[in-house]
This record gives sequence, structure tokens and C-alpha cells, in this order.
Amino acid sequence: MTTVTEAPERVGPPSKAARPHPIRNLLIKRSLIGILTLVLVSILVFAATQTLPGNAASAVLLNTATPQRLHALEVQLGLTRPAVDQYWTWLTGVLHGNFGTSLANGQPVGTLIGGRILNSLVLVIVAGAIGTLIGVGLGVLAAARRDSVLDHVLSVTALAVTALPEFVVAVVLVIFFAAVVIHWFPAVSVFVPGTAPWSNPKELVLPVATLVIVVVPYVFRMMRASMIDALESDYVQMARLKGVPKWRVLLFHALPNAIAPTIQVIGLTFLYLAGGVVVVEYLFNYPGLGQALVSAVSDRDIPQIQAIVLVLAAFYIAVNILTDVISLAVSPRRRLPRS
Amino acid sequence: MTFSRREFLKAGLAGSLAVGTGGLLSACGTGNTIKAFTSSTTGKPRYGGTLRAGLTGGSTADTLNPLNAITNVDFSRIDNLYEPLVGLTPAAQPVNVLAEELTSNAKATEWTIRIKQGITFHNGKTLSADDVIYTFRQILNPKAPAPAAAGLASIDAKGMTKLDAYTVRVPCSTPFATLGQALAIPGYSDIIPVGYNPAAPVGTGPFRLKSFSPGTQSTFVRYGGYWQTGLPYLDEIVITDYADQTSQVNALLAGQVDVVNLLSADVISEVQGEGKNILLSAGGGWNPFTMRIDTGTFKDVRLRQAMRLVVDRPQMLDLVFGGFGTVGNDLFGIWAPEYDHSLPQRHQDIDQAKSLLKAAGAEGLHVTLVTADIAAGTVLAAQVFAQQASAAGIHVSVDDVTVNDFYGTNYLKWQFAQDYWFYNFYLPQVSLATLPSASFNETHWDNSRYNSLYAQAIAAVDASLRTEIAHEMQQIEYNEGGYIIPFFPPVIDGYSPNVGGLVPSKIGLSLNAYDFKNVWLS
Repeated sequence: MTTVTEAPERVGPPSKAARPHPIRNLLIKRSLIGILTLVLVSILVFAATQTLPGNAASAVLLNTATPQRLHALEVQLGLTRPAVDQYWTWLTGVLHGNFGTSLANGQPVGTLIGGRILNSLVLVIVAGAIGTLIGVGLGVLAAARRDSVLDHVLSVTALAVTALPEFVVAVVLVIFFAAVVIHWFPAVSVFVPGTAPWSNPKELVLPVATLVIVVVPYVFRMMRASMIDALESDYVQMARLKGVPKWRVLLFHALPNAIAPTIQVIGLTFLYLAGGVVVVEYLFNYPGLGQALVSAVSDRDIPQIQAIVLVLAAFYIAVNILTDVISLAVSPRRRLPRS
Repeated sequence: MTFSRREFLKAGLAGSLAVGTGGLLSACGTGNTIKAFTSSTTGKPRYGGTLRAGLTGGSTADTLNPLNAITNVDFSRIDNLYEPLVGLTPAAQPVNVLAEELTSNAKATEWTIRIKQGITFHNGKTLSADDVIYTFRQILNPKAPAPAAAGLASIDAKGMTKLDAYTVRVPCSTPFATLGQALAIPGYSDIIPVGYNPAAPVGTGPFRLKSFSPGTQSTFVRYGGYWQTGLPYLDEIVITDYADQTSQVNALLAGQVDVVNLLSADVISEVQGEGKNILLSAGGGWNPFTMRIDTGTFKDVRLRQAMRLVVDRPQMLDLVFGGFGTVGNDLFGIWAPEYDHSLPQRHQDIDQAKSLLKAAGAEGLHVTLVTADIAAGTVLAAQVFAQQASAAGIHVSVDDVTVNDFYGTNYLKWQFAQDYWFYNFYLPQVSLATLPSASFNETHWDNSRYNSLYAQAIAAVDASLRTEIAHEMQQIEYNEGGYIIPFFPPVIDGYSPNVGGLVPSKIGLSLNAYDFKNVWLS
């Protein structure tokens, strides 16, 4: 854990010409590495799909898979071609903006997953934003009242909730708020394909609540720890001795220094959410990417698997870059060249 | 407010715990008393409304093409969009739908199919003999045969001729006395129009397509030009795909859907406890254990019979389907007129199984049973089988593979495995599974006496003669066959009390084979 215990030093600005632009440099460098990572991911995933037992033809035909029908469909889907050949066709297609067609139903992958990307993104962003706000808020509160009863209650609750997997949280929420005790919210999230998720806000409540409950403890605990470090620092004591109001010390002196390590945790939270939505989408029948990935894997639908995994990988890379950029932006000290 | 936050939190927690235990207790309470299952036929039908169906079993590989229908849930769409020449009643007996009359010559080598007049497709085109010929040529297309092709292989599609606008002559390459039964199998005779376009599918069914997203949702609206007067009652059907039973049942309990399919027995009390109804059907589908008889262990008939004798069938039904369903007797086609009910019900007999093993010199036999989650309860049934077989000293190791692996290149070649079949009549099922020429002869059954009996039966236009021959065939299977058929699984569906017109069916597909034209909402 990074601790920020000293006040930032004041250093005169270097001359304009010599001044490096750390954020721009980082963006360029990390984007290039990111693209390379995506290519590697696509190769790995393609190789993995080749080792799965069965193929799309047997997934489609099920118990009507006579050897003749199986072979005919394999030829039709191009599954009898060498793997390298198949991968190359796919890659050149992607470079032309064509993600191929689904092996399961022949529809273009783009139209199949386009709406689902939006649905999942809304879920992740809304849950991430609410979870972050609540986590940071409670973390500051607990740190400010360190060792009070409130602090203990929050810390113990956070610890207990950390131990609960998403499906337990989701099932409890459904029992209480949808299916059995009170019928306030829908138990499953069903929207007409093609409509945006925010036009059905009620359907979002329970999936978002599940994810928020699962991620808040992590942000809370990180925020509380780094806030306590900041509050114990010399400059906060200095500020207090000068008679700065308590809320001002908290929000303008301690918080900016405590937020940097928390940003890393928030980044991790969003990354976790990108994976965590799979379970939540499954439980609430939410038409998102996670659900599509589960279905695509069981159908051995390689173009769809590839496209979804690439979207998820791109999201990981983007969040990582963004986290580092924001970290840099909020801690001026780290923007300076190392000496 | 004098209430501190701390007290508030405490009170909230205590309250929720109390409610929680209350819920659990009431759930346990209802677990012991399962209510009677009623079919929802009472009350007067009402017009209008949207039926919301929450169905599991769908995937992105779902199809609207009746020729390619494979899964149970495919029929939820197909049975409402299209209609067959011959269909099945809820009692699983053939009934003419689009066909007016089917007549054959004395040798059953040529059939004449006359269809009803004045029936239109959703695009307004009138149903004619051309559409019937077109459909069968598509099913039997040698380059891309449909799943039904194996069961209709005797039909000479090329030789089909149109006698008039509503009459077709169907020559058969071999006698085919059971054509009417074969056509009644779901998906075998759904008629598509000449020039059928799978992207904009039309049929003659009571509902026409509005939208379709495979694995997500599909909607259908009432077809105003439907030929059966007064039907359908509903204005619209919305079918939403559910990934698993938990979310599906939650949706039913929360009132988000009106009907759900393919439930397992363990949720019956939960569904009934929350004021919803269960539709229980004695399906004719069958989930056999398949022993390959041409090579290896099960070449010895004594060992096959021993395997059949170790099964405690009622116990297996109890453990896998909560006691619902029908006990099997190692024979298929239970609702067919040819099914032989006179053969004694086989019971577990460990002593006899042991003596058969001893006679075959195979005491302490080791076998591997390949299973996969191919149908409700298959993996559990495999585990129960392994347990029951151990009483006779047989060691069964259960190899649980993925569905893809199961139906991959080893399918129809496994030594000892399982499979699932929808209901089929006896002789049409034989043509698919227990002839050397059958496409799905998973037990590799080839018995010369049996084969010649089949040839006689399929040429017998007289139904009673056909039944007599079929009984002799079943006798052979009963004594020597490669199938263990311990049970016919139940079909358990759920519905809201406001749904009318649902009746149990023996077909084995959910919700009375998804016959939504007779369903109404009150």
C-alpha cells in the first residue's frame, strides 16, 4: 500500500521545451502495448477454443448428429479447414471491421452483441459509480470517526459482506424485494431486444444493487485505511493546529492525498465488475455480454467468443490506462521525472 | 428523531431476520404437502391479452425453421408458427391437421394425401399441393437432409406428384404403412410454402412472427386469417429465454411471466406455495441407457440382462424426478397402440443379476458409463444407476463429459452411455434406432428375426396384424435388447392461475406441446 505522508514539495516549473508530457507519453505507450495484448489475447482464446471438446456443429445438431449430418455442417461452417487458416480469415476480417458471423445462427456477430455491450456497460458503470461513491463516502466517514462504534460496525459489516459471493447476495435480494416477501422490483431483468437499459430503470435496480453490495466493501476498506494514514500525517496536524475547520481538513487536505491508492482499487473494482457481471447477468437473466459469453462457449461459437473476449480485454486495458492517467493527474509529485 | 442510526440498523437487521426465518419455515411447511395438479380448463375462454412465457433450453442456436427443429424449446415457436399435416392429440394419438385424408394402396407403397382447402399462409398465399411437395423435397434433400429425413426415408420425394391443387401422390421406395404415425411426430410434417425464406418465415399456424432474437426473446401476434374459426384467443405471445430455472421460477413468482417450462420436481412445492400452479404431464419421451451389443462387454446377452435387473426403477424415479413420471420396462413407444403392455414389469432382482454375472464369468464387472447433461436428470440417473449396480458387485464409473463432447465424433459409438428421445410411435422409432440401417442405432442392434419382422410390420396395412408383429419384436427386445429404459420422465411446467386452456399431454413437449392457440388469460 502506498502511503502519502509528506506534503508535496513546491518545485519551479521546468522550461517549456524540456518539459515532458507524462500523461501523453503514457497514453501512447500503453495504447500500443494494449493493441499487442489484444492480438495475443485473440490468439490465446482461439487456441483455447480449439482444445475444447466438440465443436459448433455438434452443439447445433445435438442428438441429430449422425456422422453425415455432422460432417456436412462442419464443411458448411468451415470447421474442417486448418486452424491457422481459420484464425487468419478471422483476423483479416476483423481488420476490415468484420467480426464474422455466428456459427450457431448465421447472424453477424456485430448485431448479435452490439446491444449486449451497451447493456453490460450500463450495468458496470452504474454499479461502479454508485459503489465508488458509497465506498469512498463511508470510508471517509469511518476514518474520521476512527475507533468509534460506527467505525466498528462499518468495518465488521464490510468484512462480513466481503465473504458473501454475488449469487448469495442476489438470491437474498430477490427473495426479499421481488419474489417472496415484497414485490417491489422485477426478479429478472427482461427488456425487449433493441431498447436501451435506462428506459427500463426498474429492471436495473436489483442487478445493480447486487453488484454495489459486493464492491462497496473493497473500496470502503481501502479508502478507510489510506484516509487514516493521511489523517495521521504531519500536514494534517499542521492544518488542525492552524485552526482549519474539521470538514475542510478532511475534504481538502487529507482526501486528495488519500484518494490516489483508492483510485487503483476503484480501477480494480471496475475490472472485477466486468467479470462479476457474468454471474449477475445469469441470475437475473440480464441480456448482457456475460450471458452471451456463457451461451457462446457452450455453443462453441468461436467468432462470438472471440468478439466478446476482445471487448472484455479492451475494457480491461482501457480501465488500466485510465486508472494510471487519473492517478497521475491527482498526484502531481508522480508526474515529475524521477531524479 | 430520537432513533439513532445505530438502533435503526439493529432494528432493521432484526426485522429482516424474522421475515427471513418466517419465509423458510413456510417453505419447509409446504414441502410435505404437494397440492393436487389441476389442468386449467375450467372457466369460459376469453379473447385478448399477451401470454408471457419464460422458457429454458434456448440458445443462440435456436431456429424458426421447422425442418431444423431439434430442442424442446424450438417447438415453442414452431408449433405456433406452422402446422403439420398430421399432429398429435394430448393423448399422443395422431390427428389430421392440415391433412384431410391419408389413404394408401394395399401394399402401403403408395399414399395419397389430400389436404384441407381454404387455408392460408401468413403472407396470404393459399396452401396447396405444391407446398406439400416442396416441404418433403426440402426435408429429404440428399445434400442437406433435415432431422426428420431419417424417419421419412421411405418416401420417394422426387417421385411425388400433384394430382390436383389439394392432392398429392406419395410413392414410397419400401412399404410404409405407418406414414400417418411418422408424420405426426413433432417437426416431421410442418408445411412451409414454396420458396420458403427462413429470414421471413411464414406458416399456416395461429400466430405469425413479429420478432426473433435467438436465445433472448421472440414475439408472435395473432394471425387474423387463421382457418380454425374462433381461434386463437390470445393477441400476442412473448417468449423470453431463461438461462436457468432459478431466474425462471423467480420470474413466475414475481408475476413477470405467465407460464414456465421444464421445471425440476424440487421446485414444485415452492411454486405452489406462492400461489402458482403446476402442470404435470406423463411424457412419452424416454432417456435410455445404451449398451453397445456388437463389441465389448455387452456382446454377452447375459450381462445386458444383468444390467437391466440391477435397476430399482421406482427408486430411480424417486431420486431423479421426485417420484413423478412413469416406470419403464426396457421398451419404447409407451403410448403407441403397438406397445406391448402384457410383458411382465421388470423389477430389481440382484440375486438373478449376480447369477447371470457368475454364469458369464464376469463377477466384479467394471464398466464405464458416459453421461452428460443432455436432458433433465440424465447425470443424476447415471449416478443412481452406478449406486444400484454396486449391489450386484458391478463397478460402474460414471464419466461425466460435456454435451458437445457427448454429441461429438464418439456419438453413436459409445460402449455404454445415455441418450434422450422425444415420444415416437413404436415402428417409426424402430426405423430410427433399432435397425441396422437406422441413423441412430446407438446400441448397434442387428437381429435378423427382428429385421424381417419389421419388414412385415411396415408392410401391414391392417393395424391389428401390425400390432401382433410388433409385440413379437418387443418380446425380442425385452429379452435381448441393448437399451435399459428405466423410466419415462415427467414433464413439469408452471403457470399462473389466470392462464386457462392448458392440459397435460403425453407428447413429452412442455405446456401441451406449446399449443397456445387454445390458451387464454382471464
